[in-house]
Amino acid sequence: MSDKRFLNGYDVVLEACEDAEATQMFGYPITPTTEILSGWINKSLQNKNLHCLQTEDEVAAGFAVCGAVMAGAKAFTATAGPGTVLMQDALSMAEGMRLPFVALIGQRGGPSSGTVIYSQQEVNLSIHGGNGEGMRIVLSPSNLEELYSLTRKVFNYAYKYRFPSILLTDGYLLKTRQSFSLPETKIENQKLLALVDETSQKNIRNIYTLEKELMSELEKNKQDFEEMSKEIVEFEIYSSDVAIDDVGNLVIAHGIVGAVAKEAVDELNKQNKKVALFRPVSLSPFPKDELNKLAQKIKNIFVCESSLGQLRDLVKQNLEYEVKISGIFKPAVGVEAEEIVDLVLSNK
Amino acid sequence: MKFKILLAGDGGQGVQTIAKIVSECFFAKNFEVISIPNYGLEQRGGVSLSFIQVSDKQIFYPKFAKADFLLLMSEQARERTSEHVSADTEIIDFKNYQEIILQNKISRSSLNIFFLGVVAKFLSEKKLISKDDIFVIFEKKLASKKNWEENKQVFEIGFLI
Amino acid sequence: MSKDAKFCMGCGHPIILQNLYKILKNNNEDQKSVLGLDIGCSLLAWDFLQVNTFQTHHGRVTPTMVGFKRAKPEALTFAYTGDGGAYSIGLQSLLWSAKRNDPVTVIVVNNSVYAMTGGQTAPTTMKNQITLTSPVGNSEEPIDGLALVRAVNKKAFVARTAVNNPKQLQEYLQKAIESQKEGNFAIVEVLSYCPTSWKTFGIGTNNFLEGLKNVFVMGEY
Repeated sequence: MSDKRFLNGYDVVLEACEDAEATQMFGYPITPTTEILSGWINKSLQNKNLHCLQTEDEVAAGFAVCGAVMAGAKAFTATAGPGTVLMQDALSMAEGMRLPFVALIGQRGGPSSGTVIYSQQEVNLSIHGGNGEGMRIVLSPSNLEELYSLTRKVFNYAYKYRFPSILLTDGYLLKTRQSFSLPETKIENQKLLALVDETSQKNIRNIYTLEKELMSELEKNKQDFEEMSKEIVEFEIYSSDVAIDDVGNLVIAHGIVGAVAKEAVDELNKQNKKVALFRPVSLSPFPKDELNKLAQKIKNIFVCESSLGQLRDLVKQNLEYEVKISGIFKPAVGVEAEEIVDLVLSNK
Repeated sequence: MKFKILLAGDGGQGVQTIAKIVSECFFAKNFEVISIPNYGLEQRGGVSLSFIQVSDKQIFYPKFAKADFLLLMSEQARERTSEHVSADTEIIDFKNYQEIILQNKISRSSLNIFFLGVVAKFLSEKKLISKDDIFVIFEKKLASKKNWEENKQVFEIGFLI
Repeated sequence: MSKDAKFCMGCGHPIILQNLYKILKNNNEDQKSVLGLDIGCSLLAWDFLQVNTFQTHHGRVTPTMVGFKRAKPEALTFAYTGDGGAYSIGLQSLLWSAKRNDPVTVIVVNNSVYAMTGGQTAPTTMKNQITLTSPVGNSEEPIDGLALVRAVNKKAFVARTAVNNPKQLQEYLQKAIESQKEGNFAIVEVLSYCPTSWKTFGIGTNNFLEGLKNVFVMGEY
């Protein structure tokens, strides 16, 4: 096919941001998302509608995004690890004020400076990093096609629903080079209207005199979040030639580990092991109903992740049935398909 | 069919250039290719790795446990890659090429191109891709850069061993 | 022109805000103006004037307005902040915005204390001044934020006035607006009353303010 190109993750993300009609980026260099910053600067040299500011820190980058979206520009930031920690200040404001904030996060090992390329330890931080209720959209891509389509979605969801929207990826996927084709169906862009302009006078706050005022605001937001959830919740169930009703065993993984798990499931199915993969694409909102539909018929859940249990805890929070949970938990380290195969086979 | 290639050397030795040429070559020949670089914190002096997988089917994950083929360009790289070596791993070891490199006065800056030639020979013997396939991409990437004539010769030396 | 003030009796904020509004209205620029508010007593201005306003976080109003201005260059953008927001928690962003010469106007209300939290030591608290966190008197000299800004930006309009010098206050605010229109950074620091934290009354409040003028040099930098 002629539209197949050999690209790396950064190229794909940058192309998605441009296709999403983003015009403003604010960022601070940090591995593994620096290439998004430098890549956008290079794009802005080619396209005079694109702008970029390398700010003094991630805090400033986040608040500049808040300012830019209030003025009606499609804006985003990209960060990682300790930068994601600093970004919580702006993310919390965006959550409180329902600003359409877009952040692209490349997870790296933690806590602290940790390691610089890969981990899956920023799940909790992305969802619950603020001093609030975690009303954020968090999408986790597993391959380049999803890196593109989910980047487009975080922009659209942010502008449509006005919750902070995070693409939660990692340096492995961003550095991966593979063949890539644009999605066959065109993705329409959601419009972003200025929150503040000459046409009306607005006074927008994020601090309340009365506790009950804040509570009713949050209850309203929660209702909006739940209504939205039905529309955007996303997941994949994968197995080769095994009827889902009959699998008995479920591997649960997200992001790039979700990709590895497919190889493992292929191998296990080949060995007549009845197993399927459940891969949440939206970590927040979590595909709770779909998980529980499967869980009714499942004997074993194997959670596989590059963390000591952040995904497992999400699964536990959402699971309504008694199912035995075990898994592979390797913070900052990749999971190999062979390990998943061994884990499932060794389970009696 | 699936073939796993691990290229390893010191940072600054040009491992990623070899990786780019080899992986783009497979892509051009309509293989499914996935590649990922790996290096440490250091800008220089650390170990630089490239994981490349080639298949006729879709590949999901860029890393792998054991390599089918390993190129070693430095001593540091040997230690770093030992966990990826199995009994079946075929290895091109820089140690076995020291004399030829000295005889042919191959400069440090062209060392990666020499090994590109060695890799090209290995892959063509495996009937995965031909020397010409690699040369096309090599030329596309480097013909306009300085030292092209020297690089071309060094590639040939590497291939003819 | 304004809702009932939620500011304390004798506070300097409403005077500064009303002067700003008067200028914007006279210039017919009230609609194109956007007033970002730092956290601190400045946040109480959120519904005080008939211009677009929004609250931000403590120390973050400057980078927020930088983002707004870059997205909408035709807007007049004001970052309204206290001395703590400007010179302590937000100093890094203030200085870098000044260094980049971002066309935004920062208004710093300097009352020498963290007033919203009840009167703690601020970067502008004077030597020996007693506050809740300096009960035996502040051991540090206060910071001169304007000197820092001037050190990194030669083009910006940089000036200090006081809330009881209304003519100079209006003049400087006007000049700061012009500076922004010319594409330059501007900062106006206004020495302001805080009788609640100062625990002063009547003429005592004015005397305290006059005392601040002895420590903080008035005029253009």
